[in-house]
Amino acid sequence: MSVEVEIRFSLNGDELRATVPAHRSLLAMLREDFALTSPRLGCGEGECGACTVMIGGQARAACLVLAVEVDGAEVETAECLRRSDGSLAAVPAALVRAGAVQCGFCMPGIAVTATALLRQKRGPLERREIERALEGNLCRCTGYTKAIDAIEAASREEERS
Amino acid sequence: MVRIECYSAPTSLREALQLLAKYGDRARVLAGGTDLVLRLEGVDRDLEGALVNIKQVPGLVGVRAVDDVYRIGALTTVTELREDPVVAEHMPVLADICDHFASGQIRNAATIGGNLVNASPAADLAVPLLLLDARVRLASLEGDQPRERELSLGDFFRGPGVTALEAGELLTAVVVPRPPPGFRARMRKAGTRPAMDISIVSVGVGFCVDGGLIRDARVALGATAPTPLRCPAAEKTLEGRPPDAATARAAAQSAVEAARPIDDVRASAWYRRHLVRVHLEREVLHVGRG
Amino acid sequence: MSRVRSSLIGSSVPKLDAAKRVIGDARYMDDLTLPRMLHGKILRADRPSARILGIDTSRAEVMEGVRAVITAADIPNHSFGHGRDNTPLKGEVVRCIRDEIAAVAADTPEQAEAACRRIEVKYGDLPPILTTDAARASGARAIHGDHPENVALTYHYDHGEVEQGRRASAHVVESTFHLRYVTHCCLGVSGVVASFDGEGKLTIWSQTQVPFLYRRDLAAIVGLDPRDIRVIQPFIGGAFGSKLDIYPFEPICVHLAQVTRRPVKILFSREEEFVASPTRQPAEIRCSMGCDADGNLTFREADLVLDNGGYTSWGATTPFVMMQTFSSLYRVPHVRFDAEVVYTNNPYAGSFRGYGNLQASFTVESLIDELADRVGMDPLELRLQNAQEQGEVTGQGMVISSCGFRECLEGSTTAARWKEKREEYRQQTGRVRRGIGMASMLHVGGGAKIYRSDGCGSILKLDDFGAVTLITGASEIGQGSETALAMITAEELGVKLEVVRVVNDDSEIRPWDVGVHASRTTFIAGNSARLAARAAREKLLKAAARLVERPEQELTIEDGEVLEQATGKHVMSVPKVIRSLHFQDKSELVVTNAYYEPPSVAQDEKFKGNVSATYAWATQVAEVEVDMDTGIIRVLKISAAHDVGRVINRLGCEGQVEGGIAMGMGYTLSEELLVQEGRVRNPCFRDYKIMTAPDMPEIELILVESLDEEGPFGAKGLGEAPAICTAPAIVNAVKSATGRRFTGLPITPERGAREFMKDAQ
Repeated sequence: MSVEVEIRFSLNGDELRATVPAHRSLLAMLREDFALTSPRLGCGEGECGACTVMIGGQARAACLVLAVEVDGAEVETAECLRRSDGSLAAVPAALVRAGAVQCGFCMPGIAVTATALLRQKRGPLERREIERALEGNLCRCTGYTKAIDAIEAASREEERS
Repeated sequence: MVRIECYSAPTSLREALQLLAKYGDRARVLAGGTDLVLRLEGVDRDLEGALVNIKQVPGLVGVRAVDDVYRIGALTTVTELREDPVVAEHMPVLADICDHFASGQIRNAATIGGNLVNASPAADLAVPLLLLDARVRLASLEGDQPRERELSLGDFFRGPGVTALEAGELLTAVVVPRPPPGFRARMRKAGTRPAMDISIVSVGVGFCVDGGLIRDARVALGATAPTPLRCPAAEKTLEGRPPDAATARAAAQSAVEAARPIDDVRASAWYRRHLVRVHLEREVLHVGRG
Repeated sequence: MSRVRSSLIGSSVPKLDAAKRVIGDARYMDDLTLPRMLHGKILRADRPSARILGIDTSRAEVMEGVRAVITAADIPNHSFGHGRDNTPLKGEVVRCIRDEIAAVAADTPEQAEAACRRIEVKYGDLPPILTTDAARASGARAIHGDHPENVALTYHYDHGEVEQGRRASAHVVESTFHLRYVTHCCLGVSGVVASFDGEGKLTIWSQTQVPFLYRRDLAAIVGLDPRDIRVIQPFIGGAFGSKLDIYPFEPICVHLAQVTRRPVKILFSREEEFVASPTRQPAEIRCSMGCDADGNLTFREADLVLDNGGYTSWGATTPFVMMQTFSSLYRVPHVRFDAEVVYTNNPYAGSFRGYGNLQASFTVESLIDELADRVGMDPLELRLQNAQEQGEVTGQGMVISSCGFRECLEGSTTAARWKEKREEYRQQTGRVRRGIGMASMLHVGGGAKIYRSDGCGSILKLDDFGAVTLITGASEIGQGSETALAMITAEELGVKLEVVRVVNDDSEIRPWDVGVHASRTTFIAGNSARLAARAAREKLLKAAARLVERPEQELTIEDGEVLEQATGKHVMSVPKVIRSLHFQDKSELVVTNAYYEPPSVAQDEKFKGNVSATYAWATQVAEVEVDMDTGIIRVLKISAAHDVGRVINRLGCEGQVEGGIAMGMGYTLSEELLVQEGRVRNPCFRDYKIMTAPDMPEIELILVESLDEEGPFGAKGLGEAPAICTAPAIVNAVKSATGRRFTGLPITPERGAREFMKDAQ
């Protein structure tokens, strides 16, 4: 087994400590040690995007990040996209409204990728920009069209608010 | 079975080099992690050794103009390169490939140093850097003082996954000399998707046009040989000729003859050669048009 | 005085559980964990064909964390599968690369995997049989002893006299089509959790699409009484037909749980998912088709050879669906169809969205275009001329009770500006060319009677507060059935959608349903829910009438309120009616149930009969751009017209069509499971390429409402249709752009470039 390392990081706003084996992926730590279910193991090779989380506001494939790497960092998962009053944040709400969800396995990853995109780029987004941003998120059910519609709509809303 | 016997996150270059010296070929350098973590957590978990996370080492991120070169820190991510104003202005061919690199999630993690050290024959950043005559800086300890040596990329790549990097050495920077005035370069990564594709082949070409004739011609190929490489035969064909259709065809023919691609699940050697021809021909004309 | 009331039917309703799924609250197989749960891993054969000479598990058994190691010798290992030719573990012969040799249960998945690597298997290699030709050659070794010819199944169908049709033909076209391996790529990988209670009763968390048949089959495999098996389906991360069969990992997991007396979970890795999941049937199809000088179809003849792989799954019965397209897509007076399903040592195929119809439609619709060329007709005109109308009965006995075929042909081509674009794209010579092509399809739309019953049961329970719970036999695999069923229930009952809950995940409480397949759920389960809702509504109205002492006919229920029919005046709330029934001398609950069996018939031994209560039609038009040098084909636009009978949930319909087109595009252009020497060479998303967001074209969708008399509110099935005719539409478009006809899929850039190079030479 590997050496264990103590890390501190923030997870969806909570300051946490953990002791993890040096080889453990961030995805394994989030799912197994912190019982989060939104980052999903779709391939384990950074090809499908189902495990997308934000580290320091940037979308990352949690299966290709070691837990030790987030020492001192801010980690956010799709769980943080539900507000404390139970309502959904703009991006997931738009995904629901647009009918972008079928089996939904890929959806937390898409919601996180899109949230990171909207935080970085203010104002209405072009469809092409959204398609490009979703390139690393595979979906087998929906054909992406409605997810793109939703993110486009959310980018407009954001401008209004 | 995975066994990481030691983990450290050094906060200075000297400390990092001390660790590399101490663990020698058992040291595993963690930068962006996109290749390394696959071997730790992926299906073929086979990695052992001492993990050295160099992300805290200062001075390894960013693009700076220093004298007559651009210095790109080894930990600069592909996203940072893609958005960097210096890269956009002075090395647009590098910015362009960064836009066609994997996915956003991977671009945010992958570093220029990691992409080169990993030495895939299809490494996306290799072709534009070869076109730009880039060199790599490799640091190690001499006594207890860091020292650096510089190698051309061509000398750095030795084979698939094999580089000139020695035990105890760390790639700290990529150095790109200022291209000659009027130098224009383009590259093409063949594939059906904008980015999320492993390159079947990549083809790059750059030159200046002086009095209607090509000067300073450079041609680089990826995924056509055990390493990404420059193609002197095609460069020679271009040199001193007008950037017209006949020249483009001739250069493409030279490159095809020089290429030694393989058959694999992604493409046949025939198709790889075919794409070298098609793309080099197109790109020569593109660069010629300016 | 009449009042117009807004209807839920046809509106756009977000999937009821979408919020849960998008935020990560939904619990999929990956998320399930039980106290004391162990993790199982399977050791698979590393070769496609061999005799097993010995298995030594001793080194694995002593490893840390290992609780059990089992081989075929340790379990009853009853045969199972559609052909009863598969067993959970293999003890004597390896017939394909995914064969299960041994299994380990350990405290962690890593320990189980490490132990699997320590199991030593001695093989005596047998030369693998890798093609259907090799399998059928005289003297070929029998892959299964009881099938000496290596033919698992054969199908013969005919109507009319093909020779007569040939004689009447002015034009005949013939071609052989090659379809290769593709696989489902559900984003959620396969998995199962098995847990026994102290009394030997099994609870199994399964991703099955057919929980009731699954329970019966699993009982037989593992030697349990079906009454002692409870099947619970967690959220399922995609199925697309892949979960129609039981696979060896499921009984293996049950046996591991039995041996260890602890819950056991098996979850595939992505690589394992690629190697050990079903595929669509690879097929070689020789087909000829004719028409008279005016373009009227005269005959169709097809000979198919399907690669079954090492074992027979339900997927081996896909010729049953293929023949419907050969016999009945357009009016064809004379048809012959023969199919052979052949054993090889390749990975074995299963059922996959469209169930053979992608291969069949690719063939028929490619040749229809070729015929149009020969006759010199616009392919649209030839299709319109041969398209069926409502009221016709096809040669196979399929009764076309509602038919939007013509509207599909016209709607899709109008949206695509067919005539204009065809003219525009004529005679191109550049290196980048555009083209436009079309294709149609016919598929079952009202279930398919392939089992003794094609029905679905519903229980509807109204509580004292007016909450409505629909307990349905129908399963949810991500397609949105619960939303459509809730809408149908709310509409029929007269309550708000928000008060309806759907329970659809537990065999212990759900009434029987044959399963999610054949695009049947909205039609069959929808009718079933509607019947249960109607019974409840009648009961409520009767009770309300009694309470207010008025005739029932004068009352109605809308949005959860009993109203005066004529004026809309409020009478009383539904919960109040329910309470008045419940809390009285002769207490009564408002709980109703229904079982809907469609008026279809099982086909006779000649495969004739009206197998579905109705049929779905569609036409898709593809516009493409082809780079003649690189071979890259880009789809610019798909105009899709689908006869859905009646739209229940508009968002759901749109989602099904868009997703189906993405899947159809992958089948056409990029997806291929590379099977060489019986091994899977590209078991990862890097090399098995499904569509990504930037690959998607503009999609224009026309939903044709033919209002089926038997369908719930007129609706018919849609689930499979959108994936079915995308491939021939694209291939016909490529033909129009380049003059090159592709008879094999996928048209990867390399295959395209090779073909287009012929042009240059």
